[in-house]
Amino acid sequence: MTMAATAGRSGINARAAVLAYVAAAGIVVLLMMLLGLTMRLAQAQWLNVPPDLFYVIMTMHGAGMVGIAGLSGAAVMWYFVRRHVPVSTAVFLVNLVCFLIGAVLILGAGFIGGFGAGWTFLFPLPAHSGSLWSANAAACYLAGLLVIGVGFLLLHLDIARGILSVYGGLGAALGWKQAFGLASDNEGPPPAVTASTMVLIVNILGILLGAAVLVVSLVNLYVPSFAFNALAAKNMIYFFGHVFINATIYMAVIAVYEILPVYTHRPWKTNAAFYFAWVLSTIMVLTVYTHHLLMDFAMPTWALVAGQIISWLSGLPVLLVTAFGTLTNVYRSGLRWNLAAALVFLGVAGWAIGVIPAIADGTIAVNSVMHNTQWVPGHFHTYLLLGMVAMFLGFMTYLTTPQPRYGFGWVGFWLYVGGGVLFVLAFLLAGSASVPRRYAVHVPDWLPYDRAGSLGAGLVVIGALILVARFFSSVRAAALAPDAS
Amino acid sequence: MVQDAVWSITIVLMGCLAAVFAWVATGARVAVANYAPTIERAYRLRTWLFVLALLVLIGANYKTLGALPYRNALPPLPAAAVQPSQAVAEQWAWTIKPDAFTVGQTAEFHVTSNDVNHGFALYDPEFRIVAQTQAMPGYTNVLRYTFTKPGTYQVLCLEYCGVAHHEMKAEIKVTDR
Repeated sequence: MTMAATAGRSGINARAAVLAYVAAAGIVVLLMMLLGLTMRLAQAQWLNVPPDLFYVIMTMHGAGMVGIAGLSGAAVMWYFVRRHVPVSTAVFLVNLVCFLIGAVLILGAGFIGGFGAGWTFLFPLPAHSGSLWSANAAACYLAGLLVIGVGFLLLHLDIARGILSVYGGLGAALGWKQAFGLASDNEGPPPAVTASTMVLIVNILGILLGAAVLVVSLVNLYVPSFAFNALAAKNMIYFFGHVFINATIYMAVIAVYEILPVYTHRPWKTNAAFYFAWVLSTIMVLTVYTHHLLMDFAMPTWALVAGQIISWLSGLPVLLVTAFGTLTNVYRSGLRWNLAAALVFLGVAGWAIGVIPAIADGTIAVNSVMHNTQWVPGHFHTYLLLGMVAMFLGFMTYLTTPQPRYGFGWVGFWLYVGGGVLFVLAFLLAGSASVPRRYAVHVPDWLPYDRAGSLGAGLVVIGALILVARFFSSVRAAALAPDAS
Repeated sequence: MVQDAVWSITIVLMGCLAAVFAWVATGARVAVANYAPTIERAYRLRTWLFVLALLVLIGANYKTLGALPYRNALPPLPAAAVQPSQAVAEQWAWTIKPDAFTVGQTAEFHVTSNDVNHGFALYDPEFRIVAQTQAMPGYTNVLRYTFTKPGTYQVLCLEYCGVAHHEMKAEIKVTDR
């Protein structure tokens, strides 16, 4: 089953729907990058931004980037999984509509209502604005997230329905029998199905818990006597946040499995190690979230120790299966580099390299002196900007044919890589120097890091602009061209 | 300091990984004649890498889990050996009593919040974090720290708590005995 000319029962063209997702994600990611650049320039004291506006921008940037990571990952996942299982284009578009409605609510809450509680809306901060924003503005934000969550929940449920109709069970779709050597590797599900199954399992759970704490927060806004344990709320928020953002990488990596083999002419090996890695990742993404709570001494110690150990273990599938698989797929394959292949390759490199500072911060003894410093945005921008987003940009480039081996797109690529490296290293170095994260105003000693980071961010924005503009200039060709594979 | 060691190790490992990716990328164009023995060697290499990774994992966790900052992991000390201090966070100021200690003293900060989540981060006179814990409404987190250097320490809020989050600072004075 290919995507070309498949309109489905709803009569909507599936390829057009994917292009709508990619176009929306492309525009919003650029806007969110501009917000991020503004934050770095403000901290560098190259731009004058009053603190209340800084924190609004910080909140919008966080929510927008997490949302767009979800949207772009969903585009990749849906595009490839529908080759193997029946899915509904109508539900796919309902998710996009929910996203856009939620985005409007969130942007309104921030830029009109002044909501600046951070994208993580850490209970009970939305209700304690210090007169900066009203309960209605906070409610608008929380409702916006809820609407977006509903859209994603529907999408995952629809994909689950499709997967179950073909594979009969989630375990089979995950390849659990192959993982434990109980069935032949040849009978295992394709990578896109395995990845989509893992993502729907973790995201359905994550979204449900996120929705619950959003509702709790909404009630608390208007009924302050409706008390809720702040530590319980924190657990729910970080469970949801951790699962959702990690799921975006697991969705986007499908682009690596599907796109790289087209150019290396080597199929992606789905062997027992591959399936085992995905089964492990399903469990570990759900159980590692307490590494966000290592400085919450009130948590049970066993949960925090588990958070550390599972953080370390989580690096193994990423490095030894995905990164290793990518390297062996490309190694002396005769591949002639093109922009799409380069971007997805970069995405794996970024993810794998980002594992190192992530595991460092997931170690309690290190977290004690690095939690909530700029080490944190340093590590997550490594595997989101140079990881997940790079994979998405590779997918975006892949959709437009033919693949350029030369041209201006490469200028964009190198600006993105070079700027991105400078940007994340500035954060990591600042974090090791104990510069706090989420500070609107910086002291003079921190300015060199901020200025280096701003330069890197500026280069990233230009690079991303070139890559996204390239997509838009070729999007008519993408809409009309036959499916690239 | 922990941060410097972590930075050095991190940058070296990140650099090594980046070098491996770059090496594979630049050599990709020349196809190997027969892939089968290459991939067999790669899988054998992976087994060794897995063993190495497990050893590093076990070693690092064994070493670092031996000294946890949590109350039930702290060595028992007689009451006279610690100086308790109440640290209360509120939008947007700290109330820390007492906020003066002498070198060699072990302070035991009882950290809580009257409103939203805050973060109690203790910065030494060189402005590096030496200890931290969360300041939670409804909970008291106990953070122990033994002062080894005199000078002016600062407490910064390290959990985003609203518009004056970056201004929420306090000083702790440590003098020679």
